[in-house]
Formats: sequence, structure tokens, C-alpha cells
Amino acid sequence: MTASRPLPTLLVIPTGIGCELGGYAGDALPVARLLAAASGCLITHPNVMNGAALYWSDSRIHYVEGSALDRFAAGALALQPVRRQRVGLLLDAGIEEELRWRHLQVAEGCRASLGLEIGPVVTTDAPLEVSLRQGASGASWGQLGRPDALLRAGRQLQAAGATAIAVVARFPEDPGSEALVAYRQGSGVDALAGAEAVISHLLSRELGIPCAHAPALSPLPLDPDLDPRAAGEELGYTFLACVLVGLSRAPDLVPVAAAGADLLQIGDVGAVVAPAGALGGAAVLACAERGIPVIAVHNPCVLAVSAEALGLEVLTAGSYVAAAGLVVALREGISPASLERPLPRLG
Amino acid sequence: MSSSALSLRPVTLRLPRGSGSLRAQIETALAAEGQPLRWAITAVEPAADPEAASGGALLTIEAVVLA
Repeated sequence: MTASRPLPTLLVIPTGIGCELGGYAGDALPVARLLAAASGCLITHPNVMNGAALYWSDSRIHYVEGSALDRFAAGALALQPVRRQRVGLLLDAGIEEELRWRHLQVAEGCRASLGLEIGPVVTTDAPLEVSLRQGASGASWGQLGRPDALLRAGRQLQAAGATAIAVVARFPEDPGSEALVAYRQGSGVDALAGAEAVISHLLSRELGIPCAHAPALSPLPLDPDLDPRAAGEELGYTFLACVLVGLSRAPDLVPVAAAGADLLQIGDVGAVVAPAGALGGAAVLACAERGIPVIAVHNPCVLAVSAEALGLEVLTAGSYVAAAGLVVALREGISPASLERPLPRLG
Repeated sequence: MSSSALSLRPVTLRLPRGSGSLRAQIETALAAEGQPLRWAITAVEPAADPEAASGGALLTIEAVVLA
């Protein structure tokens, strides 16, 4: 697309806020592929990349868990690309036997058919007791009754040689709930997303290695009105395959104090792309404070935390296609203002 | 951190925006509640006095903290 050297770019589409694009089952993956092509180097998080049974692997895309992405943006972590990770599998003791076998067989399939290095497998010493919650804003949040059990199992995996961890926790389910029906029909917030983020944030933060989460749920009855954006989650028995693929080449997380100059650091980043109504997260604010250009994309969600409300200077894009054009302009050293009309006089 | 007495707690804060780094203000306010695990500004009410130097807007922050 361009002969210029890569422009490392952050793509943030927060989880659990009902983004029209990116609020469902990995439905921002085409955007990630587009921005990876435009920038030559994209750093993004599991909510963007995880499509349950669907995934995409691209050496230009760095898969970084959300809290690690925040610490990267804050200048605390650097990213070290790797050829492969050894992905430990952490299973919630609350998962029923049949569902547990389904997840183990996904891991076996990823070993046999994709060549991933997976293992060991550890089950928590107590059920994790995941609960779901919605904030006053409408964003999904969540709780974990036994964070201690999660961390014990994570530490056990790390001590056994895992360099990344895929967590599968049993999530509460209510197939008839209004929220789930709305989500499957493309008009709601992903009620599971907030709790998923809490689990992976806790583990990644405490262990300092790449982590991501897949919920364990019973298969849903067929819904002929299923929205295409939610379809990735209805292709199989688990949401685990995308997590294993994402983690298999996730970069190592290296404290900046211990990082060599050749690692990817926030000072290398040339743009951050985020929904125009969701600019109030840690990563975007950290980038804005460093003067990294923020590209605010029209992507409706339940929040209205805009550049105007926060007093941020941003480049606006009506779509992710337009955002990709802005990334190419920045990569090529073309002033975005020169692409707009009218072009105000200097004087 | 010792995992024995660990608990996660949802927090909602209403924070008048001050001058300087917005992120630092939020993280300082959340630190009084616990160790912030995940947070976001989820609403902004405009300032009563739009001419105020610091902006003066009222921020709603939803978070989960380790306590």
C-alpha cells in the first residue's frame, strides 16, 4: 500500500459498550486488517480480534490484552515480538464435565491443525464465580467472586513454563434474557464483555504475561434472525480457538526499565484510532497527553465521551475506511489538514 | 500482591475536572478506593461556567478496583 516505513498505530474499540462496529463477535477484525495494511504495524486488543471460532493471524498485528495496552500507552511496558508463545490453559472449576471436554478438544485441535504450543492445563481450586453487571452508563462490567483462585492457577501455570495464559471461565447464562436476545439481533451491549475484561486484566497485571479470556457457555438454540456480527459465536461449542491463536504470537510484555531500544514502545506510535464517543479510556488519554494524533471514528455506542466533551484535539473520520486514509497520510508525512477543503490561509 | 484476601469492587466516581493530566486525576481519585483494574470515563457533564480555565466539567468514571 505504501513504501514508507511502518507507522505503529493503536486501535482501541472498548469492550462492552455496544459499538456498532466492534461490539460483537470479532466484527472489527476487517478493520484491524485494513489498519494493519495502512500502518504496517497495528497494536490492538482481544476484543477487536476475537471472533470465537473465527480468527485472523497477521504478523503486522500485535495482540495485546487491554490492561497491558493501557500500560504500554502509559509508557510502562514495551512489546517484544516473538515467534511463538507457550499458551497455558486455565480452566474454571465451575465448568461442567462435558463443556470442559469441549474446551480441551479445541486446544487439541489447535495443536494438531495449527501447530500451536499449548499446555499445561490447570483447573482452579475453586469455582471462579463470575457475575455480570451493567453500569449506569449501560456499559457492561463484571465481577469475579474468587480472584484468589484465578491468580493461584495462573501462577501455577507460569511456574510450569507457560509464557501466555488462555483463561476459560464459566459464565452465568440466561438464553431468554432481553439483553442476550438484543445482542444476538445486533442491537445490544455484549453483557459478558465487562467480566471478561476484568479476568484478563487481573491476570495480565499480576503475572506480567499475555493473557486473554474465553467464556464457557452452553450452546444457544438456533436463531434465524441472528445478526451477522454475532454469528462467529454460534459456530461451535467454545469461544476458545481465537484466544489460543491470538496468544500464540502475542508479544512479550517487557517493563520499559528493562527494555532495549529495539522493542516497540509508545514513543514509536504514530496514531491511535478509537470510537468518537469512547475517548475516555486510559490508553487514548495517555496517547493524547503525549501528543500522539488521535483519530476519532464515527462508531456509535452507548457512551458519548467525545473529543469536544473532553477538550481533546482529534482528527475526525466518518468511517474506518476514512481512518485508514488518515493513517496512510500520517505514514507518508502528508498533513491531514491539506486534504480538507476549504484550506484556511496561514495569515 | 497477596491473593488470599483479594476482592474486586465496582466503583462509580463523580469527579470535577481539574487542570493538568486528566488520566492522573482519575487514577489518583481511584487509588483512594483501591487498586484500579479497569476504568473509563462514561459521561461528561459540561461545566456550569464554560469559561473556567480548567474546564470544570463533571466526569463520571466507572471502574473495578482491587481492594
